[in-house]
Amino acid sequence: MTTDNRVNIVVDGKEVKARPGSVVLEAAIEAGVYVPYLCYHPGMKPYAACRMCMVQEEVDVEVERDGQKVKEKQLRPASASCTMPVREGLTVRTATDVVRDLQKGIMEMLISEHPHGCLTCHRIELCGPQDVCLRHVSVNDRCVFCPKNERCELKDSVRFLGMEMLSPLSYKTRGLEVEVADPFYDRDYNLCIVCGRCVRVCEEVRADNAITFVDKAGKALVGTVRGASLLESGCEFCGACLDVCPVGALVEREHKWDKATRVSRSVCPHCSVGCQLNLEVNRREKVVRAIPELHAPANHGQACFKGKFGLEFVNHKERLKRPLIRRNGQLQDASWEEALAFLAQQLPKYQGGQFAAIASARTNNEGAYLLQKFARAVMGSNNVDVDSNTRPALARALEAPLGYAASTNSIWELESARCILVVDANITEEHNVVGVPIKRATRRGAQLIVIDSREVELTRYAALWLRPRPGTTLILLAGLLRAILDQGLEDKEFIREKAQGLEELRVSLGDFPLAKVAEVTGVPAERISEAAHTFATAETGAIAYALDNATLEEQAAQVHALANLALATGNLGRPSTGLYALRRGANEQGAVDVGATPDLLPGYQRVSDDVARQAVENRWGIKLPTEAGLGLTQVLRAAREGRVKAMLLLGDSYNYANGEMDEGYEALERLGFLVVCDSFLGAAAQRAHVVLPAATFAEEEGTYTNLERRVQLSSRALAPRGMEARPVWQVVCQLAQGMDARGFGFSSPAQVFEEIASVSPIYAGVSHQRLIREMAFTLRPDPKNPLPTQLAHSDRVSRGLQWPCLGTDSSGMAVLYGSGFPSGKARLMPVSVPASSLRVSPAYPLLFAPGRVLAQHDRDVSVERIGGVNHIQREERVEVHPADAAALGLKAGDMVEVVWASGRIRGAVEVREGQHQGVVSMTTLFGEMATRLQASEDPDPMAKAPLLAVRAVKLEKAT
Amino acid sequence: MQPRGDTLNATIRKALESHGNGAVTVLSSLLTLEDALGYIPPEAIEEVAHLTHTTVNDVWGVASFYPNFRFEPPCEHVVEVCWGPTCHLMGAPAVMKEVLATLGLNTEGDTPDKRVTLKFNTCLGACAQGPVMSLDHHLVGRLTPQEAGKRLSGVVGMKGNRSLQ
Repeated sequence: MTTDNRVNIVVDGKEVKARPGSVVLEAAIEAGVYVPYLCYHPGMKPYAACRMCMVQEEVDVEVERDGQKVKEKQLRPASASCTMPVREGLTVRTATDVVRDLQKGIMEMLISEHPHGCLTCHRIELCGPQDVCLRHVSVNDRCVFCPKNERCELKDSVRFLGMEMLSPLSYKTRGLEVEVADPFYDRDYNLCIVCGRCVRVCEEVRADNAITFVDKAGKALVGTVRGASLLESGCEFCGACLDVCPVGALVEREHKWDKATRVSRSVCPHCSVGCQLNLEVNRREKVVRAIPELHAPANHGQACFKGKFGLEFVNHKERLKRPLIRRNGQLQDASWEEALAFLAQQLPKYQGGQFAAIASARTNNEGAYLLQKFARAVMGSNNVDVDSNTRPALARALEAPLGYAASTNSIWELESARCILVVDANITEEHNVVGVPIKRATRRGAQLIVIDSREVELTRYAALWLRPRPGTTLILLAGLLRAILDQGLEDKEFIREKAQGLEELRVSLGDFPLAKVAEVTGVPAERISEAAHTFATAETGAIAYALDNATLEEQAAQVHALANLALATGNLGRPSTGLYALRRGANEQGAVDVGATPDLLPGYQRVSDDVARQAVENRWGIKLPTEAGLGLTQVLRAAREGRVKAMLLLGDSYNYANGEMDEGYEALERLGFLVVCDSFLGAAAQRAHVVLPAATFAEEEGTYTNLERRVQLSSRALAPRGMEARPVWQVVCQLAQGMDARGFGFSSPAQVFEEIASVSPIYAGVSHQRLIREMAFTLRPDPKNPLPTQLAHSDRVSRGLQWPCLGTDSSGMAVLYGSGFPSGKARLMPVSVPASSLRVSPAYPLLFAPGRVLAQHDRDVSVERIGGVNHIQREERVEVHPADAAALGLKAGDMVEVVWASGRIRGAVEVREGQHQGVVSMTTLFGEMATRLQASEDPDPMAKAPLLAVRAVKLEKAT
Repeated sequence: MQPRGDTLNATIRKALESHGNGAVTVLSSLLTLEDALGYIPPEAIEEVAHLTHTTVNDVWGVASFYPNFRFEPPCEHVVEVCWGPTCHLMGAPAVMKEVLATLGLNTEGDTPDKRVTLKFNTCLGACAQGPVMSLDHHLVGRLTPQEAGKRLSGVVGMKGNRSLQ
């Protein structure tokens, strides 16, 4: 921002430049002048509830003195600075006697309902953070009995004001039961000061409104509808309310009493959004909390249930401690030297195409790069992939029509889009934080169109929800394209200047008259037309998709159809438009970028391209295989068929068990030699011949590339303690060096990245040093003063770099194709519908579309406390078409079981006219899953959160 | 008899459909329902959330703010005793004492037999008539404790749905 348009104000005699449109409190915070506040929080609208941030404006007044008019400075009555807009020349005083008296008076009122022995205890200066002193204050008031001890803004504010607490007011104990039966959170409203930050963050920032103010005046508190459990109120357990709470009222249950001794900035390993998290580490080297970074570009201070509550695996006692070697059928402890020597002896037997290497979704760029280099240069095999890449066409199929195999725009641009099309994506659960700007956009009047056979949370925010028959999404997209072209809604100028292939597209759409599309998909023609009109006429339209319901065969065609939609409506190359390929793995984008994919060398250079390959060969000093290798699904098939005999896996994957690639483990069992480098002895490691203990994301430094192409540095938060786990980059280097390979003599991840940048043009301008150097100071608040946790952690923030970043002078690219397409013109791809494998069989004659939402208030639901834990009690409904119900002899209310090959679920029949014939659907509640995830014994339950897979089923009458 | 189930839902919907054009708010919807039903049942909160495009939590935030709303069916009769400043000076405390004694209550609320709901009110808008109470929304002014007790005593032992007046 240029300084020209800044407003000059004076705060306590200090000249301050303020952003126009900001308020005095924000200007003061940014200028490093501390004004006490409790209800204000960056990122939310000023609320002026707590009245702590009082200031007095200083004005010049003309007064008559001795018959002469003289100018005099006068102070106006105090008012809240969080609602006082800045204006040129404004002069305020923040620490006058009037202000301080008011603040102390307000604080006395606040603490009249808050335990405050801890605030005034005479030992405050004597006790250290780790002392446990139990004798000086009554039981309810002890500092050590508050989970926010040492990080409470209320206490800090009292100390700042220098209050002696001589008020005769004793505090009123509310005597409320602490809410501990819901998953993940403990809520103690006895400590609540009703600042409203939690209610506002839930409403303003997350657009969820799962909590509200209840009652009024002396009884006002935070709560839910009729005191309902969070399981019923529509809570998505994102933890945003915990992050903003200034006192001990809302806290994470896990490590509730643990104090952090240091904080480190890492990138969340759970999905491809790339949330920056501040990991709080305690003195026992445990990650005790994750606080999302307020100024991070991809998450803007937000996280989700996975990032907030799913990092406990780092501390888990079942972590792999030492390498294991299978001897006489048993995995036995070994030293690293033994394991590496054994591998150096065994692996050379499996040179060439019989070897495959699979990176984990959490392998960082450095690890993935070295892995593919190892596979190619040492093992001579191009069989490399990422274990989350079950939808290989997801981003890759954008390459043919547009040029780059990646999302075109940045996540938070969605907030300003006027129309958003979400196709077959369960964003709230799989890419939670992407849902935040989408929901916020709908609050700002954007039209959300959801295309999904399943009922997912975003359908609740949608202006239009098109619910095609499962397996017909592609035909519906063809119908949308046809409707746009038939109505002449295409962006003719954009197409003329920037795209080719319109005629071929038009011809291919000849097979999709709207009436036919409506018949096949079961979506009425007028709804298709309406959606086409809404999307095509919006000033900015963005598309987010995940291919959740597409079969392998139709994935590429579906991506092409979506690219056509963006191209035909001119929604590319501008902010708040474009295509968002919602990749599954945290670093799936990065791993592919650095070459962990069968047919591409680092930087999307074809293996078969002689010039590019030779450049890499020269750099690596070794000849490389020229044939494209096998991708993830093909590798598993080849393993089953005995063509791939040895594999190196970095990490296990739920995809081998959740229906994405069902026979994964069976395939691994067929291998002659399996090496697994993982943090746990999971299902894959148990089948391995050699197991190597890997460091987790929190224990290694490296870069992640998120779904918006942003390369972000994740720093090392802690060292593995009591185990010999090593970071992946080091493991691969040692493995290669053990086999006498050259080119693996790296001493740090930063050095590995230098090589990545040198062989991969799109990363050429990126380096660890640059990412660190270009970290920006966000605010410079004095750490001595009371601060919201998120602000206290946010000192310097890296915005990362979005590739292509071709040189050190390039600042990366937030929006692709702003200055045209790499090959001159984009290509509209003709639509063809491949034979889908989503088929029913005589054994399983129906298609099942499972849904999951946060709340369904129109349905009866109750919550029962079993063993101190809330459980949702609800009869699920299986929605059946009348004809199917008749054929099966079912009537409304009959109890049935939906049965598929590997599972079953029970519910009562609801006969519904709107249902597609041959399809059954059921919508369950997120709260139920949250309860199960909380109770899970698995070391890493969040990585195994069940997906909503459309599949063939049969109905059985329940007995 | 209070409506239940489908009848209740129909009543809620009818009340919401017929209320105000243009300025439909959470509050106006809740007021309409309170008028139509005498209380706000859980189903009504869902309907209002749906109608006003908010969530049930938001509706609850508004509903729980105003003491005028109740969330359980009211008793057969509603008695409101004013103890605003004027009525207070004109003798409301004695009236109040008598009313509580007659109804066998310690404070405002419902009688155990669900015959009478007693509410304290800070102004019934008839200060010139003070002390005032309202019996099923009909004002009775210039009360003496004896008069108040007499008006209520019949009700306590009464059977059936007779008017209090």
